Amino acid sequence: MSFLQPWLLWALPIAGLPILIHLVNQRRYRTVEWGAMQFLLSANQMSRGFARIRQWLIMAMRVLAIVGLIVAISRPLASGWLALTAGGKADTTVVLLDRSPSMQAQTNGVSKLDSARRQLADALGTLGSNRWVLIDSATAAPQELESPVALLESPDATGVSSSADLPAMMQTLYDYIKTNNPGRTEVWIASDLSENDWQRDNGRWASLRDALVEFPQEVRFHLLNYADDSTANAAAANLAVRVTDARRVEAAGGAELLLSAVVTRDASGTGELPPVSLPLQFEIDGARTQMQIELVGANFELKDHRIPLAGDTQRGWGRVSLPADANPADDSAYFVFDEPPVRRTVVVADNADEVRPLTLAASISPNAALAEAEVFPPDSLQTLAWEELALVVWAAEIPTGKTAAQLTRFVQRGGQLVLLPPTDPAGEQLFGVRWQAWRQPPQPLTPDNWRGDHDLLANTQSGAALPVGRWKVARYCSLEGECSTLASLPGGAPLLARAPTDAGGVYFLATSTAPTDSTLAADGVVLYVAMQRAIAEGLRVLGDTRSQPAGPALPAAGEDWRRVAGDASPAGEEVLSTAYRHHQGVYAAGDKLTAINRPLAEDHPVPLAEGDVERLFAGLDFDQVDTQPGGDNQLVHEIWRLFLGAMMLALTIEAGLCLPRVTKPSSQFVSAVKAPPTAAKPALEEVA
Amino acid sequence: MPADDQSRSFLEPAVLARLAGVPLMARRAMQGNVSGKHRSPHRGASVEFAEYRKYVPGDDLRRLHWRALGRTGREYVKEFEADTNLRCCLVVDTSGSMRFGSHQNGGLSKIDYARRLAGTLGYLAVQQGDAVGLSCVSDKVVTDVPARRNPAHLRHVFDTLEQIRPAGGTRLVPVLHELAETIRQRALVVVISDLFVEPGELRECFEHLRFRNHDLAVFHLLDQQELDFDFNRPMRFVDMEGGTSILAEPTEIADRYHKALTAYLTGLKTTVLETGVDYHAVRVDQPYEQALMRFLVQRTQRAGAR
Repeated sequence: MSFLQPWLLWALPIAGLPILIHLVNQRRYRTVEWGAMQFLLSANQMSRGFARIRQWLIMAMRVLAIVGLIVAISRPLASGWLALTAGGKADTTVVLLDRSPSMQAQTNGVSKLDSARRQLADALGTLGSNRWVLIDSATAAPQELESPVALLESPDATGVSSSADLPAMMQTLYDYIKTNNPGRTEVWIASDLSENDWQRDNGRWASLRDALVEFPQEVRFHLLNYADDSTANAAAANLAVRVTDARRVEAAGGAELLLSAVVTRDASGTGELPPVSLPLQFEIDGARTQMQIELVGANFELKDHRIPLAGDTQRGWGRVSLPADANPADDSAYFVFDEPPVRRTVVVADNADEVRPLTLAASISPNAALAEAEVFPPDSLQTLAWEELALVVWAAEIPTGKTAAQLTRFVQRGGQLVLLPPTDPAGEQLFGVRWQAWRQPPQPLTPDNWRGDHDLLANTQSGAALPVGRWKVARYCSLEGECSTLASLPGGAPLLARAPTDAGGVYFLATSTAPTDSTLAADGVVLYVAMQRAIAEGLRVLGDTRSQPAGPALPAAGEDWRRVAGDASPAGEEVLSTAYRHHQGVYAAGDKLTAINRPLAEDHPVPLAEGDVERLFAGLDFDQVDTQPGGDNQLVHEIWRLFLGAMMLALTIEAGLCLPRVTKPSSQFVSAVKAPPTAAKPALEEVA
Repeated sequence: MPADDQSRSFLEPAVLARLAGVPLMARRAMQGNVSGKHRSPHRGASVEFAEYRKYVPGDDLRRLHWRALGRTGREYVKEFEADTNLRCCLVVDTSGSMRFGSHQNGGLSKIDYARRLAGTLGYLAVQQGDAVGLSCVSDKVVTDVPARRNPAHLRHVFDTLEQIRPAGGTRLVPVLHELAETIRQRALVVVISDLFVEPGELRECFEHLRFRNHDLAVFHLLDQQELDFDFNRPMRFVDMEGGTSILAEPTEIADRYHKALTAYLTGLKTTVLETGVDYHAVRVDQPYEQALMRFLVQRTQRAGAR
């Protein structure tokens, strides 16, 4: 139990007043000489049983009445499941709101997010605070609210398609507290504890935790846990759809769209899933078609479904949607299509023969698209069409000046850049990294460690690792500067590293493809895969159409982005243009089309393991309320009426116990006397 | 009435004058030494015919009923009622508890009330030629004035009443047993007490007195506060008869006090009804004249006025 006016509880010792008065009263007796002692002795002996209990009961009732009154005016609160420890009015109340798609799952027509907003508005309105601040998962920026009711109205509290980044939100919280230095701060976190949102392995947690502990003011965390109750929520199987590929092809009958999609079913808590037949609706530039699919098991995969395109349609957008279910946020997927761009690669080298393996690897397309790879000397780049390039392989001296600036712009646009060490490293740096002198170990080295989970050397789709370990490196250049290692040689020297950039990719290879330096060309599988992956990544920004997950900013365009299609806003409101990147749909700016979809992890939200949250908040003042959407559950109830009723009940009982049960001895005494005759006077006169 | 008797604090001439018109009658035959207003168990020479009985040798021939002898040839003696005086033994309880008097009575204690009752009764008895004695009882017989009927003796009784000071415990029951044995002739025994004794013990001594053919009357004196027990704050009750003291919350034990008192009064009522005692419950705040008038009138109605 907690109190809105806890300082009034200091008056609780007043409850001892009846006992004190009783003791003082006992000392303030009066002495009287008494004749009828035998009755008094008898009464005193009789009073040792119930009468004494009654006396204590009366005193207890009086104490209870005072306690009830004090507690009632302290405005006690109770929660449905857990007694919160709010402890009075906070100076600042911060709400960390998870707006991710998984929070839009509904129970009884109420989404977790709406339930959280409603509960928080009610609870915070009751608890009171001098200042309310909202940090939502989409913007991760502090936003002051006029009152908790604003949570129900603010467009920054509705559902979005992007994932939450709890460490980033906590960082914002930390920055806010550090900047504004508020007094006692209450932090309310509403989330479904999805692992994707919380990123429990993120290194920022530890430093944030330590930093929050160091604050001089009290910072208390209350987590409203909306995670599904796996034992109770087996009935509502949620379906999600995602487009895995959409490409335009020319067929005999005209242009067609080859569409691949996956429909998944949330199988948590269920054993055998019953087969389901459901309609899958396609919408291409506003024209709708539908097909019936049979979902057996947890997944249904639609591969290269052919949809004829109208006449000369070169590019366009589409949507695949499922019937509405428990979570409307994952019932649609958007895509854009266009003629595939040319896979254009430029290899910058002084000697074209030395980089021939690179040229070959870049010019062999994995699909029917056209692939081009050209070799340019460093001094003839003036005529190069940078905006058409997907990949630039730099196997010459590190450029400076105008060329370096061009390369930087190329990378910032989203282009991919792979740098190979020059013959004689001159010490120039690019993107904060520079080559050092060549080294030649006594024996050729083989990479002993590489990142197989992502980036250029990631495992294949079937999970098999690339044969990076078969490389033999006879000579290599060590790297200096801040970069993340993708593959390293024994001793820790990086073989392939990536420089930090906001967009695009910059890779440094520590050796060359020359047979004297390494076997990269001889064992060309890894080289080919890495090159094609870099080209594919570079192609994503080349065409006028692109797909991206919700969250990152829309690419720069000459015109403002406008919304072409998208999910209906949960609140029925128009999506603000500043929030386009958080809402899945199709957006257009001039000739550019961008499809935004929810991140892949939102289709299968994995809850945090038990105890993870406690570990993340270890050392902080933290409590957790497990709740579910729907119903009329309130986080806090004011229960002063209960205590007032208890006080009145105690007073009534006390009054009942105090009622004197006096017999009428005087009447008994008179009745013992023989009543005088009514005609006493006449008798007296008669006698007289 | 002697002039100096009027100065007694416990006697009120106006009350005496009003009560003097009502005779003090015994409820049963008395054995006195001289002629008086009360029936005697013996035949005498009054004008009240009693009965005829057969002549037996030794009877006074002057009392032979000659007419009956002439008519029937049998000897009968005509007998008449005898009138005699009575012995009124006043027994006043002078134990410590009789000192109690609450403010409700204007400070009038039970012993003051007992003085008024005893003094007035003694005066009335002597006025009609009866003998009056006085026994003052506490934990022993404090004073014992034998019954006499001369006015000078009454002064002695009054002096004694004036001098008594309540103190000590109550030994009423042994004293009544003792009186039952020591009063040789039938007498009117008037007990004036608060009777803080077990009713069962009282029954024995009442039966003893009745067995000895005494006419027993009891004035049971209680104070209004003893009946009400209406204290509203913690009190330390000190036993007036020298016992212990009790610290109590009166509101807590009042109901039990009343229960005990009611049980006592009920037992006492049963006792007096079964033993035929002329019992009078008197609250000290009532006028003593009223109590005495009721006492005298009831006796007059039972005995028949002479």
